[in-house]
Amino acid sequence: MARFVGRRLVFLVAMLLGLLLLTFAISHVAPGDPASLAAGPDATPEMVEQIRQEYGLDRPLPVQLGRYLLGILQGDLGRSVRTNHDVLADLADFFPATFELVTVSILIAVLLGIPLGVLSALGRNGWFDQLARVVSVSGVAIPMFWLGLMLQLLVALDLGWLPLGGRLGLMSTPPEPITHLYLLDSLLQGQWQVFGDAAAHLLLPALALCFPALASIIRVNRAEMIEALGQDYIVTARAHGLGGFRTVCLYALKNAMLPTLAMIGLRFGWMLGGTVLVESVFDWPGIGLYATQSAIAQDFQPIMGVTLLIGISFMLANLLVDLAYVWLDPRTREPA
Amino acid sequence: MTRMLRSGGRLAAALALGTLVGATLAQPAPAFEKTSDGPVLVFGGRQPVPNLDPSQKYDWSTRMLQQSLYDALVKYEGDPAEIEPWLAKSWEKNGDATVWTFHLVDNAKFANGDPVDAAAVKFSFERTLKINKGPAWMLSSVLAPDGIAVVDPHTLRFTLKQPYAPFLAFLPWWYVMDPKEVMAHEKDGDLGQAWMTEHAAGSGPFKQGRWEQGTLYQLIAKNDYWKGWPHKTHPAGIIYKLMREASSQRAALIAGQADIVEGLSSEDFDVVGKMPGIAVEDHGGMTTFGIKFNTQVGPTADLNLRKAIAYAFDYKALLQIYNGAAKLEDSPFPPAIKGHVTLPDMPRQDLAKAKEYLAKSAYAKGGIELEYVYVQGLEEERKIGLVLIDNLKPLGITVKLVPLTWPNMTARAEKVETAPAMIAIFATPVATDPDAVAFQYHKASWGKYYGSHYLKDPELDALIEKARATADWDKRAPLYLEIQKRILADQPEVFGMLANRRWARRDWVEGFKFSPVNFTGETDLYQLTVAPK
Repeated sequence: MARFVGRRLVFLVAMLLGLLLLTFAISHVAPGDPASLAAGPDATPEMVEQIRQEYGLDRPLPVQLGRYLLGILQGDLGRSVRTNHDVLADLADFFPATFELVTVSILIAVLLGIPLGVLSALGRNGWFDQLARVVSVSGVAIPMFWLGLMLQLLVALDLGWLPLGGRLGLMSTPPEPITHLYLLDSLLQGQWQVFGDAAAHLLLPALALCFPALASIIRVNRAEMIEALGQDYIVTARAHGLGGFRTVCLYALKNAMLPTLAMIGLRFGWMLGGTVLVESVFDWPGIGLYATQSAIAQDFQPIMGVTLLIGISFMLANLLVDLAYVWLDPRTREPA
Repeated sequence: MTRMLRSGGRLAAALALGTLVGATLAQPAPAFEKTSDGPVLVFGGRQPVPNLDPSQKYDWSTRMLQQSLYDALVKYEGDPAEIEPWLAKSWEKNGDATVWTFHLVDNAKFANGDPVDAAAVKFSFERTLKINKGPAWMLSSVLAPDGIAVVDPHTLRFTLKQPYAPFLAFLPWWYVMDPKEVMAHEKDGDLGQAWMTEHAAGSGPFKQGRWEQGTLYQLIAKNDYWKGWPHKTHPAGIIYKLMREASSQRAALIAGQADIVEGLSSEDFDVVGKMPGIAVEDHGGMTTFGIKFNTQVGPTADLNLRKAIAYAFDYKALLQIYNGAAKLEDSPFPPAIKGHVTLPDMPRQDLAKAKEYLAKSAYAKGGIELEYVYVQGLEEERKIGLVLIDNLKPLGITVKLVPLTWPNMTARAEKVETAPAMIAIFATPVATDPDAVAFQYHKASWGKYYGSHYLKDPELDALIEKARATADWDKRAPLYLEIQKRILADQPEVFGMLANRRWARRDWVEGFKFSPVNFTGETDLYQLTVAPK
């Protein structure tokens, strides 16, 4: 197992390097001058040139890349030309919000999607299956942005049940940062009111974000369960008088979970980089908005920082999925 | 199977219960936020303030908060915008406007209690000039650090490199910083730049509260503000809450979770303005919209073609696009600019005249295609492009709509070879002095987004230079009349309209004071108060 993890980590570093090179190349061939944009519309040519020099944008591209890679090794992701902020500090500010939102969303999707997939498979073509089909088709078809707006209008504005947006009430003070995840930090510090406030703010964006993932999990899990339930070992288990719950959950579901797990890993990574629409609607101070603003201003260092962070998260999520695969399916384990 | 379905039902019931529990935790505000110190107003705006340093950055949202945390020597107030004494109680200039002397008030204090004196003002101006970012361009060509002298603790003298009449008009944006506070946080000779991005060192009516990037910026009112407050009562503070979508701003306003918002669409302003408890501030602004021509390269280098387009354009359509919340330009200068004169021969739609000019051009039979570049996603600009397509068809001119992101647009405008034939430009002058607009047509503005016309008129350039170097307004005024006429004669753009500046506010917000010199959503937060109920 250690060798497996080690090999995957080496592979991960190589992938990240490739990702960085690609992002660097794409962001530097795009038209526009980040120094000019940062200097402002009225800046004199001297002011623009000064910014170019200050941020090393006047150096040849290979030198810029070399300096950037050297900086990464020293834990320095550079400074934003647009804001003059340290990129690492910005990522530390914005990423936890996105991570919290995506984690809760994927948890909701998994906790709802797997039982719904199982129940659909068990009641194949019945009313429940049809209902689940409607949910899953809607999840794929309804634009996340629109769903967010509708939830906001209905649940927050008309019914007044949940807040319109933000991560916490305006007059609430965030918990002392330990993990920077408000739910966890408030729990760890026993601040129940802050926890409730954070949970209430999280619910609508998490629901909007989880819907496409929920739809996919239901469909994949249903299909895999139908296949698993038709296998000989399930018939045998039933013939031996094993209970329905044990047969379905312990034997059929365990086997049906493998493709579902792979998809959850992919979805998690995709959601980390694809939260911008939900963040916009719900004023969620996450990394999606940060990345978008940086991209619009052609602010290279934050773009590279976000790419690196999402790349690492994506690859780690998939590493965890691979490990879960090995745990679930002994056939994938390497011989000792 | 039935058992499984039953457990599914239980799961659904648990989820519904969970949602209800969550729902009870929500606390929508019925009005402004209340604290033990008094009401706190919530301003819902879309643009973040990532860099607060007055020497590094200015845009509407940044300046709105800088204005609240810092003071300047003078301040723009009212409509029409007038320059009012602030940290400077009086000033005088010499005959040729090269030496300006300011006399400071003696009771102004920074947030930490240090007095605001001439040395602090000198430090602040020197810092901005040395850092050479943000507002530095306004004065860097006429003011050097060694041209600033402290005469006594309350008197300061600026000696300019050359006569510069608009000097005073730019000073409201040069904020005064506490030297001790700034230099205490200097790192590697950066003049405190890193620290000042998120911290204030000013003497303004507010001090900083919570500063959460991406979420909110809190301002706490100083009860003992040296200048006092404009109303009997003032809010305990103001929260600038970031709301990224117009739909969120509108919803928050309706729900009472925001007290004032900017940036809604024309339709949204009309809708919320009719709702009980909501008022819309609607004022004539100073931001001009024009379709700039490339006057040097391509068919639009032909003056007659430019005139033909200007006369073919349907100006009334502009007003319709903005639901009437706009005013047509009657001069290249907006009305709020000093020296503005209504010009009788501003082009209005006249197809016969358009065809006359076309006949005189090198493209008498049309048969050309012109690009119209606009900001991707700006619906109003796209609609204006559609109007252009329709209007130029009778002239045999095809218009190609090219939506671009702002960085790509400015990249195209940077060189005369790539500047589009027509480009949609909103431009806001930073001062009410006519030089702030006139200089947009000087050759020194080539390459800037508002200089994408590349207008080559040496006589106009000479007039602009002469006017800015003339100290006496009575002598300047005729020059600016000539400049306005000359710009119009050159037709470097289709002079369009001035869209109204609008804000929607709850009716308990009072004291809103508009000044046309303020940028897009910029509001003087110092003036706001809460109506007694």
